[in-house]
Formats: sequence, C-alpha cells, structure tokens
Amino acid sequence: MSNRLLAHLGKAYLGLILFFLYAPILVMAAMSFNASEFYQLPFSFSTEWYERLWKNDEILEAAWRSVWIAVVVTVIATSLGTAASIALFRYEFPGKTVLQLLLFPPIAIPWLITGTAMLIFFFGIGLDRGTPAVIIGHAALALPYVIVVVTARLATFDRTLEEAARSLGASAWKVTMAVTVPWILPGIIAGGLFAFAVSFDQFVVSYFLSEPGDSTLPVLIYTSIRKGFTPEINAVSTIIIAVSMGIMLLAARYSNFGGEQ
Amino acid sequence: MSSLSARQDRIRAFTLLSPAYLWLTVAVFLPLSAMVFFSFLSDVPFGDREWHGTLENYQEFFQTSTYATLLWKSLKLGLMVTGISVLIGFPCAYVLAKVIKGRSREALFLLVILPFWSNSLVRIFSWAIVLRGNGVLDFAANAVLPWDVRINLMFSPTAIVIGLVHSYLPYVILTSYLALQAIDDSLIEAARSLGAKRRTILTRLILPLAAPGILAGAVLIFVPVVGSFMEPRLLGGRRGTYYGTVIEDQFVAVFNWPLGAALSFILLAVVLVILGAFSPILRRART
Amino acid sequence: MGEVRVEHLVKTYGPARALDDVSLTFPDGGFFGLLGPSGSGKTTLLRAIAGFVAPDTGRVIIGGDPVENVPVEKREIGMVFQNYALFPNMTVAENVGFGLEVRKVPGADRARRVAEALELVQLGHLGARKPHQLSGGQRQRVAMARAIVTQPRVLLLDEPLSALDKALRVDMQIELKRIQREIGITTIFVTHDQEEALTLSDRIGILKDGRLVRHGPPRAVYDDPQDAFTARFLGEANLFSGTPEAGGLRLADGALIAGCTSSTAAVRPENIAITLQEPEAPNRLQANLVQQVFGGAMGTCILDWQGESLKVIGRDQDMQGLPEQGPVWLSWDSAKTIALNG
Repeated sequence: MSNRLLAHLGKAYLGLILFFLYAPILVMAAMSFNASEFYQLPFSFSTEWYERLWKNDEILEAAWRSVWIAVVVTVIATSLGTAASIALFRYEFPGKTVLQLLLFPPIAIPWLITGTAMLIFFFGIGLDRGTPAVIIGHAALALPYVIVVVTARLATFDRTLEEAARSLGASAWKVTMAVTVPWILPGIIAGGLFAFAVSFDQFVVSYFLSEPGDSTLPVLIYTSIRKGFTPEINAVSTIIIAVSMGIMLLAARYSNFGGEQ
Repeated sequence: MSSLSARQDRIRAFTLLSPAYLWLTVAVFLPLSAMVFFSFLSDVPFGDREWHGTLENYQEFFQTSTYATLLWKSLKLGLMVTGISVLIGFPCAYVLAKVIKGRSREALFLLVILPFWSNSLVRIFSWAIVLRGNGVLDFAANAVLPWDVRINLMFSPTAIVIGLVHSYLPYVILTSYLALQAIDDSLIEAARSLGAKRRTILTRLILPLAAPGILAGAVLIFVPVVGSFMEPRLLGGRRGTYYGTVIEDQFVAVFNWPLGAALSFILLAVVLVILGAFSPILRRART
Repeated sequence: MGEVRVEHLVKTYGPARALDDVSLTFPDGGFFGLLGPSGSGKTTLLRAIAGFVAPDTGRVIIGGDPVENVPVEKREIGMVFQNYALFPNMTVAENVGFGLEVRKVPGADRARRVAEALELVQLGHLGARKPHQLSGGQRQRVAMARAIVTQPRVLLLDEPLSALDKALRVDMQIELKRIQREIGITTIFVTHDQEEALTLSDRIGILKDGRLVRHGPPRAVYDDPQDAFTARFLGEANLFSGTPEAGGLRLADGALIAGCTSSTAAVRPENIAITLQEPEAPNRLQANLVQQVFGGAMGTCILDWQGESLKVIGRDQDMQGLPEQGPVWLSWDSAKTIALNG
C-alpha cells in the first residue's frame, strides 16, 4: 500500500545519500589501483603507486611522524581528559558549569581561528613551528572530545558503587582505580580512539604549526595537491581513509555512539 | 567536620582538573587572547622590529570593501551549504529514525556518520578526482548519455558547495536523528488516531519537536563553513577566494600577522555571536 | 457510536500467533475490559481495532462498517495511550483541539467543544498549560478529553491507568466510569489488572496465547470461570483434583466435595472458613496452617494440604483465635464450589 511504497522510497533515498557519501571515496580508492597516471579510463589494475609510495621517503617520514604524534596526543589527552571527567562527575564545587562550558570553544570555534591563534601565541613565547607545537595544539583539540565521551560513559555509572566501596574502607584513590576506572574503561578506550583520530586526521592546525619539510601527512598531501595531482597521493589518501574509518569503527564498538540512547 | 571533607574534596577536584584546564589555557585560551592583542599592533613584536598599538588593521576591514565583501561571500556560502545539508539530511535522518526498524538501523546510522569522522582533506581531494574535466563524472556521463557532454565542475563554486555539503552533511543527520529518535512513536499514533494525515503530523508534530536538533545541526555546519579555507582552495582554484583563504594568506603567504589576527578576530566575533544566540537550543539539543 | 465486532481475527509474527481466530462483539455503549497475561494478545487486539495492526485474516466492523482497509486516521476512533502521548509542543487546549483542528472545525466551535471536553474531565482551568506542567492524573484526564472531543464511534484505552499510583488509580477508575456513562460511548480497554477490569467493565474478555478463553459479565465470569486458567487469572482460586463419584468429588485424603461432578473443583479463598474444631459443613478437609499474614482488616492464611499450598482470606477478627501454625479444619458452602472443565 502507499505506506509501504513510502517506506521503499525512503530506503531508496537513504541509498542515494550513502552513494553520495561513499562514491567519491571509492572512486579515489579505485583510481589508486589504476595504471594510468592521468586517471585515464578504462581501468587497468596496477599496484605501482603503492610500490612507489613505499620508496617515497618524504611520504613515509610524514606518515611515521603523523602516527607517533597521534600516539603521544592520545596518551596526553586520554589521561588528562579522564582525570577531568572523573572530577566533573564526582565533585560539586563553584564554577563547575563554567568549566563545562569552556570545553566547547575548542570544538566549536573554526580550526582556522584556533590554528592561527596558536601560531601567534607559540611564536610569541618563543616556541617555534614544529612537532612540539603540533602536539600541544592537537592535544588541546582532542581533550574536549575525550571529556565528552568519558563523561557520557560516567553518566551510566552508579554512584552508590563508589559509596559502597568507601563504606568498606577503600581510600579515594583505591576506589577510583578498582571501581570507577574499570567501569568507564570502554569510554576511555573510545575517547582515546577519538583523540587518535582527531590528531591523525588533523590538517588545519598542523598546517599552521608544522615546519615546512617536517610536516604531518595531511599537510604534505595538501601541499602536494596544490602542486598537482599524482596517483601516489591517491594511494596514500586511500590508506589514510581506511585507517581513520577503521579507528572510528573501533570507537563505535566501545562507545554506544550510534546506538539507542 | 563536613567542612574538612568538603575542603578535601575541593583539593581532589582541583588536582584532577588542573592539568586538563591548564593545557586548554595554554593551547587555546591564551592564544585566542594573544590574537586579540596582535590585532591591535602595527607589526609583529619579534626581534628588533618596530611596532606600536594601532587600529589600522580594523580600519582596513571597515574602510576597504574587499574584506567585508569576502566575509559576506563566506556567510552566503555558509547559508547555502547549511540550507542544502538540512534539506538533504533531514529526510535521511527521518528514514533512519522512523522508517527503518531493528538492527539494520544502527549499522546504517553508523555508515552515514562514519565519513564525517574520517579525514576531511582526503574526502575533498576525492571530489577533485570525480569532478575534474576528463574525470570520472565526465566519463560516466558520456558513457550513459547518447550525446557528447563536457562536464568540468572543478574550480567552480558548485564544486566547493558539493565538497562542503559532503563534508558536513552527516552533522545535521546526526543531530536530527537524535532529535527524531526522542519522539515517541505513540505520539505519532495518537495523532493518527485523532484523524491527522501525514502532512499534518509532519508540520504540527515532527518538525516542531525536531526543530532544536535541526537547528543545532545547522549551527554546527554554518560555523565551520564560514571559516573554511582548504575546501575553497582545493575545489575552487583561482575562483576559490573566500574570507578563510584570505586569513590563511596573511599567515602563510603575505606574512601580515596583525591583519590576519584582526580578520580572525572579526570572524571569531561573528561565530561567537551566532553560537551565543543559539546556545539555548544547542544545550537543549544535547540533552 | 456503535457496536464493534471482530470476526476470526488472526495475526502472526513469524511463528508466534498474537491473535488466533478471535471473534467477539463489543456492545454499543458498553464498557468492555480485555484481560490477559502479557503476551496474551490483548494489546494486539486493541491495536487491530484501532488500525495500527493489520490482521492477516478476519474482519473488524465498527458501527456496521467493515474497516479492515480503512487507515487509522479515517476510522473515527478515540484512543488513550499507556503513556498518554500528549503532544509536548502544544498546550492542553491545543492537544484537546487537535482532532477538531484536523477535521477543520471552525475556531469558535472548536474552542467551545474543547472547553466542554475539559469541563467534563474537570480541567476547565488548565487549558493554557503545557503537558509537562501537569500531574499524572491530570495528564490522564487530558488524554481522555482529547480522545472523546471528536465524538468517535469507539473509545480505545490501552492500560490507561497503569502509570498512576494506587490511590490515584482508584479515583481515576471512578472518574473514568462516570465520563463513560455520561457520554455513553462504546469503550474497549486493555488492562493486566484484574481488579480494575472487574470494577470498570460491564463485560470482560480474557485472552491467553492469542485466544479468547472466556467472556461475559464480570460477575458471571468470576462466579463460573469454567476452566482453571480463568479461575486463577481472575481472582484467586484453590484447586482440588480427585475422582468424581456418585456423591461428589473424592479427594486423595478421602475428603468429599459434595455435588461436584467434574474431576477438578475450585474454591475462592474468601469463601473458605477456618476452624479448630471439625465443622458440620458438607465440604470439609483438614490442612496444616503454615503462616498467617496480617493485612489490616483482612488477613491471609497460607496452608498446606497434601503437599499443596492453599490460601484462605478472611476478616482479621475471625482469625485471631487461630494458632500461628498447626492443624486446622477448612470448610465451605456447597454453593461456593466451582466445578471446572478438564
């Protein structure tokens, strides 16, 4: 009947949206396996661009730098963010709402503004462009995400468990490590994966803070694209998108992001 | 007695909170303040350069029409991308929240949201491959259509809009989906039992109830689009000059940091006004 | 207004039969209670009448018109939902007026009818409020007013009182009954609360596993449940099984239930008397008092008879002479023996 027809139309529409979202990515991935340097069709399969990638020291170096920066950022943002989340959850104190509101500027202000402001300030205090500046910037951007994700998990935590543990004589530290942290662990893992993704995919802030010739992978890709397209960029982009989607799928497993709320 | 434990609690809270907020202060709040300071300088205060306090940078914005025009152009781009995303995204969120039932819904929702969390630069680049002349779209159109067509959307405003909609569409789907999911199905059943047709249910019930979610999504798209520079650069080419790209130029090409800071600060003011105006809605949509 | 009839309704979900050949008539102007344990199909039946569930086969007839192919919005029904389903974005008056609005009733007329409906549920002064500013009982009344203002042919209530606390529920039962009498609308309601069903309905139907087990006036069904399921589901019952013989039902311990011709008999807990001495009554047996439960005016005794648990309910003052535990005699009037099939 007309209801069922409408449902079918709805599903077809959803399919169209998914096509719009994924088609360009799939095209890019396909082209990275195409032999033609100028993306000429018809398609003929080749792994040449991936082989070249393997021999391109500049790209390999940038990729390696991106990964270890992301790991450092993840460790910093996750530990600082988890501590802050627990405090925001557990204690009542004046100014708490202000602290919670302060988490939103880093998320909501366009990265162009944040990135240029960081550049100015870091330069002003004598910290030049380079990897330390990038790490400080990335961690600051990742922190609010970690706090939001861990806080969401904490909201499902039963406070009386902490009270029960304390009534049994456990110290505050012991309570945190033995009761609270195990419960919110999925949230911490999800928050860490978000932090990794924010850093690994970060372009804007890295662009302003990293040194030319010593940049992260997204910055290198941006400058290469502006010089002209090459299938090598395709290949490395395909790898990046696969990695970042994989990380988010993992994060989705650990947070109930996308589930019924 | 209770004051002692209250003080202890406060010390513990402070210990747990200070590292995170110190970090945010050093990396976000102090830089934003420094940007304001810089925007009132004649030159960067580094080395032995001469500098003094001035309003010149702001005068440049208000006296020449160049920057204001570009800001207006960026705001229009923001409105357009936001409008298209809402129009495309809301029905999609509706299908996900109210038409699809069972386990497949969660998987499909994840599939829609996933690109949003993947690398935006790479996604913009992928559109470049599709849209360029002799590109995939061109090839596909010629394969399907009987006559000869030349499709080269690359380096056009259309390309920029397509890329940005692709980047931010999942945002409005996400917020609308959460708002729609919060609408109990029994409300829709109640309206039907009272004789309401589909259109009435949509306009009198679903849209008003989902409005905070839709608006939240719209704001979350509008703000970053106004400040975008990478997307116009890659997809717009020479025609891709927007407010964001001009700011970028001040920092990486022209090296007029004080002017860049002033332009950034004006953008920040615009953004904060918008966020402030919508903050009650944004807060409601989050809960 | 009108009679509602369902004929041979079948609804399956995969292998499960939510409705299994249900035929039933809901008389015009009557108050019909549908009862059953969860999963019995009572809600499915109500939703099939409303039109939210499309039956696989069978007919639904409202006021003489077959409506199987009529969508919900054209069935002219009024429905009250378990959670009331008040539109949170509209005021009380807008909620109540919604059905009139979609029927394009002109403004002045609409306002008058909304006011009347709110008056009927005694909420005339709250029209400007939003649902979240109301108490549970008030929401319930708004939902009622909204459902009846369009003068539907049938009023469907899906566990309308289950969200209220006990004291309020009793008040609302009386209120519901008054409103229904005043407008004389055919009403069908679903409940899992048997007491509520007995209080409100002038006819009840009991469902089990998608089948209609028994229906009729509440007292008739209560006094003569006919089968063990109904006897236990509607009220409480002590069941006795044995061998039927000439004089009655012979039980395992040798006691005889006089006049009972079937192999199973039921006796309501409130119809049994407990004494220390052996009574004169024709139906008597000896059991072991296990526990006394004080319940205010009424008390409950749990007894053990031949390894089975029995229950007796009586006035507290009649039970004060009984020991905490020990052997006692149970007896009841022959008229109170309920013979069950099978």
